[in-house]
Amino acid sequence: MNIPTTTAITGPPHWRRFRFPQSLYHFGALLGVLVFVVFAIDYLNIPLERLLTMFGRIGTQLTERYYPPDINYINDKDYFASVLDTMQMAYLGALFGLLASLLLGWFGAHNVTPSRRYVYPAARLITMICRAVHEMIWAILFVTILGFGMLPGVFALTFFCTGFAGKLLAEEVEAINMGPVEAMRATGANGLQTFVFGVFPQVRVAFTGIAIYTWDVAFRAATVVGFFGAGGMGWYLKRNVLQIESERVAAILFSIILLVLVSEIISAWARNRVAKMA
Amino acid sequence: MENAILHSTAERVLASRSEARRRRATIYLILFLLVAWSIKVTVIDDTDWERIGSFSSILKEAGRFFAIDFSLFPKLIEPAFETLVIACLGTLLGVVLCLPVIWFGAANITPFKPITYPLARLMMTLSRSIHEIVWALFFVAAVGLGALPGILAIAMRSIGFIAKISAEAIEDIDPKAVEAIQAMGGGKLQVLRYAILPQVLPVIIGVTVFEWEINIRRSAILGLVGAGGLGLVFFRQMNTFNYPGVTSVILAILILILIGEVLSHYSRKSVI
Amino acid sequence: MPILEVKNLRARYSNSTPEILKSLSFSVEADDFFAVIGPSGAGKSTLIRCINRLVEPTGGEVMLYDTDVLKLSSSELRRLRRNIGMIFQEFNLVDRMSVMDNVLSGRLGYVGTVRSLFKMFPRSDIDRALQILDRVGLIDHVDKRADALSGGQRQRVGIARALMQEPRLLLLDEPTSSLDPKISREVMALIKEIAGEFQVPVLCNIHDVQLAMEFCNKILGLQDGIKMFDGATETMDQQKLDEIYAMEVL
Repeated sequence: MNIPTTTAITGPPHWRRFRFPQSLYHFGALLGVLVFVVFAIDYLNIPLERLLTMFGRIGTQLTERYYPPDINYINDKDYFASVLDTMQMAYLGALFGLLASLLLGWFGAHNVTPSRRYVYPAARLITMICRAVHEMIWAILFVTILGFGMLPGVFALTFFCTGFAGKLLAEEVEAINMGPVEAMRATGANGLQTFVFGVFPQVRVAFTGIAIYTWDVAFRAATVVGFFGAGGMGWYLKRNVLQIESERVAAILFSIILLVLVSEIISAWARNRVAKMA
Repeated sequence: MENAILHSTAERVLASRSEARRRRATIYLILFLLVAWSIKVTVIDDTDWERIGSFSSILKEAGRFFAIDFSLFPKLIEPAFETLVIACLGTLLGVVLCLPVIWFGAANITPFKPITYPLARLMMTLSRSIHEIVWALFFVAAVGLGALPGILAIAMRSIGFIAKISAEAIEDIDPKAVEAIQAMGGGKLQVLRYAILPQVLPVIIGVTVFEWEINIRRSAILGLVGAGGLGLVFFRQMNTFNYPGVTSVILAILILILIGEVLSHYSRKSVI
Repeated sequence: MPILEVKNLRARYSNSTPEILKSLSFSVEADDFFAVIGPSGAGKSTLIRCINRLVEPTGGEVMLYDTDVLKLSSSELRRLRRNIGMIFQEFNLVDRMSVMDNVLSGRLGYVGTVRSLFKMFPRSDIDRALQILDRVGLIDHVDKRADALSGGQRQRVGIARALMQEPRLLLLDEPTSSLDPKISREVMALIKEIAGEFQVPVLCNIHDVQLAMEFCNKILGLQDGIKMFDGATETMDQQKLDEIYAMEVL
């Protein structure tokens, strides 16, 4: 049985693995990346020869200079006080940042902002700036203005958390169902009532997740802001790095990692609880 | 319904509402006290209020940053470029270093689950727990000053997030494609290439671009601890108390991040 | 004396889109259960929303109790809105809140901002809410979450919420479109009963013509934003219906 097919009429179908110009783009992109890497290594004066010896050096560093970590140094009342300080800075920064993010999440959401012309872009701009400026830069700025201590640390962490949580919350608010919001407006509720009754109940669960995430990030940042004078454990870090007391640095790093791990476990547990409650 | 029954329902509802209200109020009160105590201990006690001075002197101090040193801008182009390149290389290196971590960290393809899976998870957590400044300090001690420790620090910091998302993506793939390749007699590598990779590649590229954007932000400040780029300029401007210069550097960083956001937005549109 | 008088109402969503309502005029009396019918896109939903300015009209007058709604400032508008109860197609309840809280939210226009934020509604509101919930048959579901109820029950919460406002006008936007036929009938009957009891006029956007003919005493037929019919239900016949729905293929 000879069933006439299109191939009988037009010849065997044309297929090639390397299709033009798609494959050219892919190949070109890969080549471009390679060229870029070579150029960059040269431009930045990266001593490639040192890279190989580097592994050896890191090895010797770890074993000779950083080991054993000087646990006795951190087994100290003042150090524990600084750890507590770090935690308090972190949670104050996260708390104030989250409160501010409620406002920015509302004003910076396209669908429920009180004024699309003025308030919305302003809120988005503030959130962006808070987010784009690194928490260390905030720390340095506030230390310059306010002096050393935990006050600038709290400010820096607050600004950082505001940007972080504000953007996430605004995205959640923009995804809500506008029906209940319309209903609240129809009963004569004002803007704030509409937000509290129509908007917030819909994002409450997501907000809790954002809050936990923000605490995580705030804590990590809090351990290091002291490096620039903003209070907490970071100051111990700086002092010992400058004095090249590597074993003490190792001990401090060890305590930081331990604390962050504990904090992660707690937030994972918290996230689990929230997921079950929703 | 009878008035009596309605009345008792009203009493019940009111009682439960006021009880809920009381419970909420106590929680808020406790939280408030906790916060007030924290503020007292950390901020009020710890701050040297005499040194800070009055509110107006604080404003004056802050006001010094509200000027821009325009003459600095031409000198910022090269460090800005350096910052960008460091971020790029760091992200690339991070992705490369990520690959074994992703392999070990995905429950369905990890070679020896009791050991390799927790190991990978630990690596991811370590990478994300250690602040980039700490990584940078470590690498500056190991390989000296310059761009290299910055690149290494960014690479190590990025591994965590990229590997976590990618491993989760691999764990979420459609097992039917894997089954099909295996049924045809394909080995592990072929399963990887034909069943897993096509599903996972867009996610990996997406998260890499996302992390690259964040790395620009990180790269800009690593110079503070000696890793080159705009951070170094920032450091110098601060040391010479040229506050308008500091603002200029911050503006340059913001512009750089903006460029990064625009580029990432467009690249995400073209890939997805 | 008509409660609601609409004169030459015009509406469009933006300058680049066509006009939705084209110079519409009609009036609603105190005891009316007025149905607005017409094919999809005729502007029924827009019309309902123009009355309480959830959609801003571009021209005309909306006289509610001798007040031109379109000329009110935003705070005056809010005060007017608390007297207009609205019932929605998708119920528009706050899913995570209890039935009681959803019903109480009808009083938001009356309760001060701070008190409402802490959900401290006065005793009189709670009593009234329970009475209304009893009237709509939901007294046993007072503390349940809104999303734990069936569609018909949810719409009855919506009705209760609207009634909490002590409304002087009820606006209904396809109140039965998300409900099955039997429940639809029950809901329409309930609304009609209560509207009669409380002596509140109703303006109802509805796409089920049979329901409209059964429960409403007056009908407004819209096509493409233009009034095709305005009169008592008895005077509606198949020919006039065909004219209104002429554009609809189905």
